[in-house]
Amino acid sequence: MASSCVENEEGFLIDLLLTGGLSSASAVQVGEFLCSKLGGVSNRFSSHTLAIDNVYLLFSTYLVFSMQIGFAMLCAGSVRAKNTMNIMMTNVLDAAAGGISFYLFGFGFAFGRSEHNNSFIGSNFFSLHNIPDRSNGFDYSFFLFQWSFAIAAAGITSGSIAERTQFVAYLVYSSFLTGFVYPIIAHWMWSVDGWLGATGPTRLFGVGAIDFAGSGVVHMVGGIAGLWGAYIEGPRIGKFTRDGSPGMDMKGHNASLVVLGSFLLWFGWFGFNPGSFVKILVPYDGSDFEGNWTGVARTGVTTTLAGCAAALTTLFARRYYTGHWNVVDVCNGLLGGFAAITAGCSVVDPWAALLCGFGAAWVLMGFNYMADVFKYDDPLQAAQLHGGCGAWGLLFTGLFANEKYVLEAYGPGRGHGYLLGGGGNLLAAQLVSILVIFLWVTVTMVPCFWFLNKNDLLRIDTDDELAGMDLTCHGGPAYYNDDQPYHSYAEYLDQKYEKTRGRRHGGDQLA
Amino acid sequence: MAGCVEGDLASLTGLLTAAGLSNASSIGEFMCSKFADVSSSLSTHTLAVDNIYLLFSTYLVFSMQIGFAMLCAGSVRAKNTMNIMMTNVLDAAAGGISFYLFGFGFAFGRSQTNNGFIGSNFFGLHKMPNETNGFDFSFFLFQWAFAIAAAGITSGSIAERTQFVAYLVYSSFLTGFVYPIVAHWMWSIDGWLGAAAVTNRLFGVGAIDFAGSGVVHMVGGIAGLWGAYIEGPRIGRFGSKGQPGMDMRGHNASLVVLGSFLLWFGWFGFNPGSYVKIVVPYAGSAFEGNWTGVGRTGVTTTLAGCTAALTTLFGRRWMTGHWNVLDVCNGLLGGFAAITAGCAVVEPWAAIICGFGAAWVLMGFNHLAPKFKYDDPLEAAQLHGGCGAWGLLFTGLFAREKYVFEAYGPDRGHGLFMGGGGRLLAAQLIEILVVIGWVTATMVPCFYLLDRYKLLRISPEDEMAGMDLTSHGGTAYSNEDPILLPPLSVRAGQNFAKADSVNASREGSRNNREMQEAI
Repeated sequence: MASSCVENEEGFLIDLLLTGGLSSASAVQVGEFLCSKLGGVSNRFSSHTLAIDNVYLLFSTYLVFSMQIGFAMLCAGSVRAKNTMNIMMTNVLDAAAGGISFYLFGFGFAFGRSEHNNSFIGSNFFSLHNIPDRSNGFDYSFFLFQWSFAIAAAGITSGSIAERTQFVAYLVYSSFLTGFVYPIIAHWMWSVDGWLGATGPTRLFGVGAIDFAGSGVVHMVGGIAGLWGAYIEGPRIGKFTRDGSPGMDMKGHNASLVVLGSFLLWFGWFGFNPGSFVKILVPYDGSDFEGNWTGVARTGVTTTLAGCAAALTTLFARRYYTGHWNVVDVCNGLLGGFAAITAGCSVVDPWAALLCGFGAAWVLMGFNYMADVFKYDDPLQAAQLHGGCGAWGLLFTGLFANEKYVLEAYGPGRGHGYLLGGGGNLLAAQLVSILVIFLWVTVTMVPCFWFLNKNDLLRIDTDDELAGMDLTCHGGPAYYNDDQPYHSYAEYLDQKYEKTRGRRHGGDQLA
Repeated sequence: MAGCVEGDLASLTGLLTAAGLSNASSIGEFMCSKFADVSSSLSTHTLAVDNIYLLFSTYLVFSMQIGFAMLCAGSVRAKNTMNIMMTNVLDAAAGGISFYLFGFGFAFGRSQTNNGFIGSNFFGLHKMPNETNGFDFSFFLFQWAFAIAAAGITSGSIAERTQFVAYLVYSSFLTGFVYPIVAHWMWSIDGWLGAAAVTNRLFGVGAIDFAGSGVVHMVGGIAGLWGAYIEGPRIGRFGSKGQPGMDMRGHNASLVVLGSFLLWFGWFGFNPGSYVKIVVPYAGSAFEGNWTGVGRTGVTTTLAGCTAALTTLFGRRWMTGHWNVLDVCNGLLGGFAAITAGCAVVEPWAAIICGFGAAWVLMGFNHLAPKFKYDDPLEAAQLHGGCGAWGLLFTGLFAREKYVFEAYGPDRGHGLFMGGGGRLLAAQLIEILVVIGWVTATMVPCFYLLDRYKLLRISPEDEMAGMDLTSHGGTAYSNEDPILLPPLSVRAGQNFAKADSVNASREGSRNNREMQEAI
């Protein structure tokens, strides 16, 4: 749809005017005038399109950023009070250190394009050099959006190894993860040069894997990294016992913060999933009502329904198993549903999202059960939730992706779901992406954690762990409630009355 | 219209022929095809902008759910925190499923058999997106965010003493049926009550409830009123022989303020977002459009809340001698609940009157509540029910003709004090009555049955112990230091110490010394 005069339309118009009886001079003048006006209209349209798409991308970015607030509150509430400052510190630093490393290396490794493009790693745009880049359509808003995704991955890992990890270890693995491990996967899956994803021209099995907003790229990467970290450093002291008697419960210290964090993550997920369309002003062929805005909103609906279904499934299942209606479990189930739908959010039907959430709840409960059996201790269930449900989400997309939606989101020649008549190509690509993500994170992060552990840089010592890291490393406890001398206004008035009476009688009874 | 409509092509061709051109129709067709391209680009842009506006408003409305959760959590006693937050999470989660399956269809469904009472299509998002009615998925999501707000209000009224099963029952019923019916009456173009209807509007004008003082706030508040009335006050709230009862303050004022501010934040989606479309220029102006109305709605919302907060501040200072931030937060929310009906159709100066009135309505109902031994831990019935009703009444008095025209179109009513006569006011009073009547007729039997089968109220023992412990797997807060629980931690600690003995011996003594100093 071009409102300007394209190709030879100006000549065509001038010919028409000539044939109609205008002199050749006036025909050229009239034709050029009309085409220049139409050209002006067309230019206005492209600036409007850029402005609208950038508004959409920027506000989605801000929503994704609010997930950091959510993570911080969720983590804070889920650990014991004595380690609150420590875990919040890691969340602040995920965003802050991640900002620097993603600026310097990460974005370039993930999305850099130059003459020597390759499918393994990007090679340009380090430190935002040559950005904005018109040929790839990369403006600063795209960098900011990708940064807010990158810092989510490191945040997930810090949950798995919470309450027992040296702060130095955190600094090392976090920079490595955000600056190298994560961007490589993002390149494979989301760059047009990547070998794995459905985005580029050469696609795995002819179709490419579909991970629309990052069940694999973000959640599995963070979750698997956490899995190895927590496995290598072992459980918290007292979580499991040697003689097989039940260990301590070690529940989080503040459920209000857990709920606040979960809700903020839900809020931010509306930027994470629908925002991954990146552009909203893209009309769909053959419709004058639907466009990317329809896909964006449907993505919001599938995201919501998957989370809701997972939350309700967890509610009733946990009630059945434990006899309690546990809000912390429900919040984790909710987040598991979100992590799972993230891969297929834009390409599945709303009814399929209900199945996705239902499955995610059982995946999470299953992995949580196995974690206890294997004495694996993850204070935030991050490996089970983001790793397990993320993998389920990739698999689910291979089963339920709808052909029409895949066409709208990715273009022609991609695969759709096995159960919706799409054959096995997409499913195979999804399985390959689960495997390679698992392997890539393993071969990079296991040496990293192993090396830290070997040099006594990974785990804090026993005394520090029992005393709590806030006291031993972070300048004191997070909470201080002891400076309230009176419990009620009445008590204060009584004392004040006593004091004045005492003064009147020449003594100071309050001293 | 930028494209060639109806006779445009013919008149262009006629003009060209008159100018002496022999092939006027080819030239005319070329030009019209170009104008058609312009027109379709413009409608694409309009759809994209309107959908962005609606989606981000939806996200803001959703953030009110976070606000509710924090407000409720902070306003109850610590021993019931998990319980109340659970209801807030489930309002959103269970509400998502039930609104997808039934609610949206009952509220906005349109088919051949349209009627004024209930909608009849789009169940399970069947046949969505629907171009005829202009319903895209974003509209569903926006309406879902509204529906879950109503159930959240009710859970505040019956907090701290209600069985979780009762909550699951009334909440699904409210979100899936009671609320959507009222929304259909008021907001569907088939509804019999609202000004949105195309024909046969009540009293010829239809009631104005722009963003839901009645549909959302009164529905939630009145449902809470009956729930709390039927199950009675919390144990200890009122003394038996007229003695003063316990104060029962909330356990965390920081969470109350956090929640109130998040609700304020979200209200910028709730009220201005209810325009649904923003790319609508006003006739006769090259500068104003729905964006002006949207901006003004943000202003009236803010001013009403601010006035209510200040009125409450000084009113309560005068009555109690204290500058109480919890009261001020509730006053603020009362102002918002009241302005919600008329936010788009009143002047900013009128919003100040609205907020002033709302503060006194809330304080008045709060004064009455103890007299009737009515116990509502979040003042939800007084606040959302009382101030919501005041907001509807206020709209009947102060709605301005020009703004009503811009928001609803011609032939609607405007305020009694603005020279509009009594028809809008009458329609507003009818809305207050039918909302009370409908919610009473549906929710009283619901709560009555639950009560009768002993599913409504928890046992006195559970109430004294707190529901977190008895139903929700433990307390919300645990600040005890495990170092004070020797048997297990010492045993496990010794096990661990062997594995890490080098480290422990190197650093242990220094750490111990520092710890002792720090303590």
